Amino acid sequence: MSYRLGVDVGGTFTDLMLVRNEDGASNRVKTPSTPADPSQGVLVGVKRILEESGASPNEVVSIMHGTTVATNAVLESKGARVGLITTEGFGQILHLARSQTPGPLAGWMIMIKPDPPAALEDTREAHERMSAKGEVVKPVDPEQIKKIVTDLVESGTESLTVSLINSFANDAHEREIGRIIQELYPGFPVTLSSDVLPEFREYERTLTACMNSYVRPKVGGYLRNLSASLAEQGVAGALNILRSDAGLMTSEVTQEKPVYAILSGPAGGVAGALEVAKRAGYPDILVFDMGGTSTDVALCQNGQPGLARETELGHFRVKVPSVNVHSVGAGGGSIAHVPEITKALRVGPDSAGADPGPACYGKGGTAPAVSDANVVVGHLPPRLLGGEMVLDVDAAKTAVATIGDALGLDVYQAAAGILDIVNENMAGALRLVSVQRGYDPRDFALVAFGGAGPMHANAVAKLMGSFPVIVPPAPGVLCAEGDLVADFREEFSRTFIRTVESVETGEIVDILTGLGKEATAWLEREGIKQDRRELAYNVDLRYYRQGYEIPVEVSLADLTEGSKELLVQRFNELHEQYYGYRMEGTACEIVNLRAVGVGKVPEPPVREASAAESADASAAVVDEHKIYRKGEWIPTKIYDRGRLKTGNRVSGPAIITEFDSTTVVLPGFTAEIDRFANILINPDSSREE
Amino acid sequence: MKNVKIAEIPSIEIDPITLDIIEGALKNARHEMDAVLFRTAMSPVIREQHDEFPMITDPKGRMVVGQFGSYINEMMETWDETIEEGDVILTSDPYKCGGAISHINDWLVLVPIFFDGELVGWSSMFGHQMDAGGPLAGSLPTGAKTVFGEGLRIPPIKVYKKGKPVEDVIGLILNNVRMPEMSKADLMGIIAGCRTAENRVKAICKRFGKDTYLAACQAMLQRTYNAMAQLIVQNIPEEPQSFEDWIDDDGLGHGPFKMKLTIWREGEHAYFDWSGTDHQAMGPVNFFLNEEMFKMFIGVYLIMVFDPQILFNDGFYPLLHVVIPDGSLLHPRFPSALGCRTHALTRLFDVLGGTLARKAPEYTTAAGYGTSPYMLYSGWDGDGDFFYLMEISYGGIPGRPIGDGMDGHSWWPLFENIPTEYLESYYPIRVDGYTTVKDSGGAGLHRGGNGIEKRYVYLEPGEVSIHDDRWLTYPWGILGGTPGARSEKILKRADGTEERLPSKCDEVVVKPGDMLIYRTAGGGGWKDPLDRAAKLVEGDVAKGLISADKAKNEYGVVVGDGAATEALRAKMRAERPVVKDFDMGPSLEEILARCEEETGLPAPVLQAPLPWAKMESAEDALKRVRDQDKR
Repeated sequence: MSYRLGVDVGGTFTDLMLVRNEDGASNRVKTPSTPADPSQGVLVGVKRILEESGASPNEVVSIMHGTTVATNAVLESKGARVGLITTEGFGQILHLARSQTPGPLAGWMIMIKPDPPAALEDTREAHERMSAKGEVVKPVDPEQIKKIVTDLVESGTESLTVSLINSFANDAHEREIGRIIQELYPGFPVTLSSDVLPEFREYERTLTACMNSYVRPKVGGYLRNLSASLAEQGVAGALNILRSDAGLMTSEVTQEKPVYAILSGPAGGVAGALEVAKRAGYPDILVFDMGGTSTDVALCQNGQPGLARETELGHFRVKVPSVNVHSVGAGGGSIAHVPEITKALRVGPDSAGADPGPACYGKGGTAPAVSDANVVVGHLPPRLLGGEMVLDVDAAKTAVATIGDALGLDVYQAAAGILDIVNENMAGALRLVSVQRGYDPRDFALVAFGGAGPMHANAVAKLMGSFPVIVPPAPGVLCAEGDLVADFREEFSRTFIRTVESVETGEIVDILTGLGKEATAWLEREGIKQDRRELAYNVDLRYYRQGYEIPVEVSLADLTEGSKELLVQRFNELHEQYYGYRMEGTACEIVNLRAVGVGKVPEPPVREASAAESADASAAVVDEHKIYRKGEWIPTKIYDRGRLKTGNRVSGPAIITEFDSTTVVLPGFTAEIDRFANILINPDSSREE
Repeated sequence: MKNVKIAEIPSIEIDPITLDIIEGALKNARHEMDAVLFRTAMSPVIREQHDEFPMITDPKGRMVVGQFGSYINEMMETWDETIEEGDVILTSDPYKCGGAISHINDWLVLVPIFFDGELVGWSSMFGHQMDAGGPLAGSLPTGAKTVFGEGLRIPPIKVYKKGKPVEDVIGLILNNVRMPEMSKADLMGIIAGCRTAENRVKAICKRFGKDTYLAACQAMLQRTYNAMAQLIVQNIPEEPQSFEDWIDDDGLGHGPFKMKLTIWREGEHAYFDWSGTDHQAMGPVNFFLNEEMFKMFIGVYLIMVFDPQILFNDGFYPLLHVVIPDGSLLHPRFPSALGCRTHALTRLFDVLGGTLARKAPEYTTAAGYGTSPYMLYSGWDGDGDFFYLMEISYGGIPGRPIGDGMDGHSWWPLFENIPTEYLESYYPIRVDGYTTVKDSGGAGLHRGGNGIEKRYVYLEPGEVSIHDDRWLTYPWGILGGTPGARSEKILKRADGTEERLPSKCDEVVVKPGDMLIYRTAGGGGWKDPLDRAAKLVEGDVAKGLISADKAKNEYGVVVGDGAATEALRAKMRAERPVVKDFDMGPSLEEILARCEEETGLPAPVLQAPLPWAKMESAEDALKRVRDQDKR
């Protein structure tokens, strides 16, 4: 027998899933995370899941791992001390950043500027210069470089970045300096900006390269620890890490380029949601992951996650390909308040956190959180199935009543209001990733997970018109699921700023072919078999002198048989889709050419549930309850998800509970259990169509 | 306006939850306007630097969200054509929109929003065009004496009728600018941004009902009115308070020009009176200040200083009364030149801050680099292609209650610098260095930010223009903080000779290899530098942001020697004169007397009033405003 293991370390839980490659039989384990040394929690989980499944450690052939070690190092400012070598005259590149202050007018008054990943004290200027065309203006002075490198390393920096002006056009100087560092200090961690992000715009490239250096020692240490401990337990399979773009890379590559895994966690969530939805027959989805303090949303089309060329982390925009996840600082623990001066109802950004938590937890919290509002209107029953905790309804009412008093509403109206605002905020976030990018949310299903996602999903989907709502089994954490189905992925790109009319089609094909060869060589190195390799090509285009590019996908065959005009045509179409107009006839400009190598990981077979005997779900009813709706209390049944069978139908209003989540089905909607044990919620009217 | 059914604002109660939802949706729509424009515009000034301003209004033209004032009523009073769904109005004439835009470079687009045949509001946005025709690339000649010497002035005119472009009008306009394709892209981007807002507002009307939407807009305005009434009563004294500051010169050798503001409160109403400001300038530094726009500035300023949570809109405008004498620097008479109004526009905030600081000094900041410094470079490259670059620079942000002023950051919201790699890829230019000027920030408990030093090496023959200020007067410090350093421009010729350039000049001929060293002003410091933790001062020295000399002379910190620091600080405290509320540097007389010696440039001379532009008296101006308000 052989197994693959998906491991995801979240803030609260470490989620593990073990799948038998032969028949798809799976086991799942959740253990508390151990933030001080996350590998401890992983090991506990591995032990348990091996015991429960009866698999032996040496049967685990591969491990797919999503990790937040890099993310947390940045968010908690606990990365390495980074030394930066940049071009003479540009030592303050990170200090000046893009010179931006926030809006509106006078926003600078309240701006808090974050410390850059490399301090000014730890930045040195190299005497060298390259032109934007890649010609040497001033050669590197090796003696001067030795001096500044020694200076940086001896002063205690733990990791170095070399990022020079115009290295996107010619990286020779960066390589030369890299060599000098290795000669002086063999094995010292060095990041060259042209390795991490060979694209133009010096600040973004320098920042991204410094971020890589910043998280590198921490991620390296963690991965080495984890590999060693796994080996100790006899688990011999290769350790692979989920990248921010939901591809996989080996543990070794991750140690070199950890910045590519900076959003590993959310990427796993998106990949997991997508996998569940594809299986259920919905390749176009909105991902809705609502947790305690924040919510992640994303859009996936044709079974592919939407990718962005950059991502926001803390105060920084890091330019690495990432699943296009948008985060909002609101979740089940967000606190509602009414500012004295405006009398508006606001929810968040403050959160009740885990301790004391929302008032309903009965641990002394008094501030009204979203969860309290859910308790007050009956969406969250006081006694949770499988949970040891009994919720304190009175405490929740007392907390929410403070909002009601401030607004002149009764406690139930206030609770319903809090939920309306939160749901609207969530819809706002979803609109940003859909409508604003030219997609109609009504063409998408909504996959809900996270601790609070299934409770709000029906209401949010109603605002968006996105149905069905899909709630996968055990929706508290979906990431391990995503880790398991990820493919190996790596990009090879080149900045090539030329108008389309000034280049020959053959030139474009040649460069892409060259990049494709690099990708193939990488797939070879990673030991990926011929029949599992895929190559994709894209070209970033914009109208001449626009500032932002749109990636246009193209195949080499189309380009060879057709012509470069194909690129222009596709770009015009995309521009119109995104921004509502095109400028036919205006010169188009190529900015980057890119080959993406993918090593497909075989998908495990899926086990389907047996067909249902009837739609009747009454056997799963465990309690009677009621929910508040527009001034009325409506009787509502509570169902045990574990007892619902494929084909069972549940009419709203209904509450479906399981050990890590609660799903609310609103009046006018019906939930149905599909072959994969997902809950699908649809409006009743659609049944009649 | 002809044949337009303007939606009535219903007097219905709206529940607070719906109100908050609509407020959130409008805020999102406003951010979408920005996003669409940034991604589609071509000129780096809009795209990379974000010189653009959006808004959404109610049917009466009052701004519900956004960041500039309402001018639509004023403009529509003289509009005697129809307004129909799908129309797009464009203007660039400050004199035809009451100064809503204040120079011809700003192209202002207005899109009416209809729902069920009724006008429910407007979306509007303006952006700075890289070029708007006229004698010089950039359309900001520092020597212009009237607006006719600046460039193309577009009166309010439809560029789309019922959704169809009016090609002959657009063609006429684009025929008059140097880079028609870029101007077209920027214009289309602005229109696309406005259309986005239009669609959003329609969707809200559809979802909640038109009446609910309009009532929500009204309630949002009311909410801000109520909040602002409290702020005014709390923060604006009944006793008049005045503050004055200067812009240095008008580009023609005249100056400095005084800007003076007096504020007082009557009940919950506040008066902001610019009487005492100098008469208008001959050169293009006049700033046609729209009263409503200034109310917006006041509001934003008060909100940022005292309560950043308040949603910003027009609701409070009836509470504020703005007095600006006609014929003054801030209300120049037609056809005064306006191109370089950015200096007075920025100084206005220094003066406003200074005036308000008299009542609540703890809350307010020092003065910053005080303008929007530009560098323009144009010519024909070796292939005979025309090139033209305009770059906005930044400088020292003032010391603030929350902390130090940022070094080399933008005072203007959301503006960004142009990446060096972008400049070098598209223009015959090499940036020799881009850094901040050591010691240029004023000392303080919270220090002022350093100004910027950018060194441009020109690679093709061409002409350069410079727009900057604060080369003569100092960005002041507050409550014991010292002033920031002044700006300066040095041209180092390829042959080794060096010359000082004025802060406002055009048609400076450059040759390949010439280098312009462009230094902007620093920000003033906030509160007593002797109270700044020695560790922080030593950190600034280690970072290279201040020198050990400045640490010693202005902060009393002897680097690495705690005992010496303590002794020095005690001595300085004992010996210094009384700490000033405002430290403006030397007196104006001294500054002028030492001008040539210190800056290498001749001192400006006072300008006589222009015979054709008589200035209204303070009494008349106040009476005019009181009469208007009675009506």
